[in-house]
This record gives sequence, C-alpha cells and structure tokens, in this order.
Amino acid sequence: MSNNKVTRRQFLSYTLTGVGGFMAAGMLMPMVRFAIDPVLQKKDGGDFVTTDVAVADITEEPTRVDFTFEQVDAWYTSEVTNTAWVYKSGDSIVALSPICKHLGCTVNWAGDAEYPDQFFCPCHEGRYEKNGKNVPGTPPLGPLDVFEVRESADGLLEIGMAVPNNLV
Amino acid sequence: MFYTGRDSAQFLAQTEYIDTAIVPLIPVHVTKETMQMGASQADYILSLANALENQFKGRVVAFPSFSYVSGQSKEQLLVDWKSAFAASPFKHILFLTGDSEWNQLDGSIFWTATIPLDSMEPKMRGKILEDQVRQLIPRIAEKWNSPS
Ligand code: FES
Repeated sequence: MSNNKVTRRQFLSYTLTGVGGFMAAGMLMPMVRFAIDPVLQKKDGGDFVTTDVAVADITEEPTRVDFTFEQVDAWYTSEVTNTAWVYKSGDSIVALSPICKHLGCTVNWAGDAEYPDQFFCPCHEGRYEKNGKNVPGTPPLGPLDVFEVRESADGLLEIGMAVPNNLV
Repeated sequence: MFYTGRDSAQFLAQTEYIDTAIVPLIPVHVTKETMQMGASQADYILSLANALENQFKGRVVAFPSFSYVSGQSKEQLLVDWKSAFAASPFKHILFLTGDSEWNQLDGSIFWTATIPLDSMEPKMRGKILEDQVRQLIPRIAEKWNSPS
C-alpha cells in the first residue's frame, strides 16, 4: 500500500474526528452563546418599566409606586423592585427616587408628623421638600433624583432611568 | 450596609452616622417534624433583615445571622455578643429574632412574630415585608433616641 493512499484505518479516524468535531461544536456553541449573549444583548425602548398605575389616577399627594424589572448579571437573572414617590404637579407627573442623598436610606413622604409636607429620612432626620430639594441644615447635601416618566398607549405610568433632579 | 469588605470601608469612615448593628438570631431545627417550620421562620427573619437593611442602609450594618441549636445558653450568648460589640464602633445592637425564648431577655432583642412567606408570590412577599418594616420604623427610631 503506498503512502499517499488513505488507509481504511486513517479514513475511519479522519471521519470520526470530523463527526466528533461537529458534535463538540454542537455542544459548545450554545454554551458559548450563553456566555456571550448577556454582553451582546441590547436593551430595547430606553428601559422604561410599565407600572400598574393609571396616569389619570395620580393625585397631588405623593404615593408609593413599586416597579419591577429584570436585571441580568451575566448568567443570573434576578427581579429587582424599585420604588418611586409619584405625584402630579400641574400637568406633569413627577416620580422621585426614595433614596436619601446622604447615605442611602429610604425616605418617606410625611414620615415625620412635624413636617407633613416633606419627605423624611428616619436615619439621620434628613428632610426634603416636595420637589425633592434637600432642606438645609439636615444631613443630605443634594436633592432627590427623579425618574424619567411617560405614559403608555393605554394610559399606564411608565418609569425610566433615575436622573439628577431638574425641578429645584 | 452589609457586613462585606466593600461596605465596611464605608462604615468605618462614617461611624458617626452608621452606628447600628443588626444581627439575626436564627434557631436551627433539624428533626423531621420541626424542619419545615424552622426553615420558614428563618426565611422570614432573614428577609426582614434584608428589608430593614434596605430601609436603613445609611445607618445600619446587617450582619450574617447567628444560628444555634437548642440547648445553648441564651444568656451566655447574649453576654458574649454584647461584650464583643462593646469594643466596636457601633452604638446600638439590634438582635432580630422570631424565637420567643429570647423575648424577655433584653431590650436589644427585637422579637417579631414570623409570617410564612413560602408560598407567596414575590409581589405579595414584598408588600408584607414593606408593611412590617414600616411598623418597625418607630420602634427603631425610639431605640435611637434613647441612650443605650
Ligand atoms: S441617610 Fe438619610 S439622613 Fe442620613
């Protein structure tokens, strides 16, 4: 048998390697996809979350609205619930972040009986006016963030990213 | 804050403001008859500790829970914990538990009735915890206002 002819043994081993390679690739591809996908995935629609609150029902009294979204950390998807203080101001809707600008506690509307028209932080008695402006002389050094808001086609409140307060 | 390396840098820099330790006390029940109830209680207390941390992030550090089996002396455990914390920058320590045996032991024990959250959907679960936290706010504020 001459050297440049493919022997039966060689033929088999080539073929099997080929098939094995295909099988390995078949197994690996989804794994690679899983690993890379979260990085490649684009978020759609500018990250607005639809709440179950109808815009028409929002009053001038700040009310808690919870909104839940999925957070993808590489392989792990978790549900994160955020809260906003939502109220109506003239024709527009305001959604304030409840995270205290001092050290990150959660503020409550009318949380202190002495100041029924302010947000109150129970941790170090920080206070904010209704538009989120920090009350001087209390620990917070900046105003509460605001969330971007919009109305869905069927009249529900949609909440987007937190941005620096533009009302004060 | 949590008792993690990253948060500890921050609380060490802000001990003037972050002055309260939360330590969940979890009884571990492992017999066939008691496991389910024990686990469900532990689940509730740990979830509540998380929710409290979220509400009071800028003033508390939530510690890993202390788990024990029956037969350990609670009085002694309390003495040990307190003397350890006496040497710490924390001014207040708050033990969170659903185990009624701690109930009368000391003012730093926050006993609470536990609610089985097991079969609740996440939304309901969140709502209940939020309510519980809101009820605890005045109790905790009172503790902060009284010298301890
Ligand atoms: S965290 Fe709100 S006042 Fe300090």
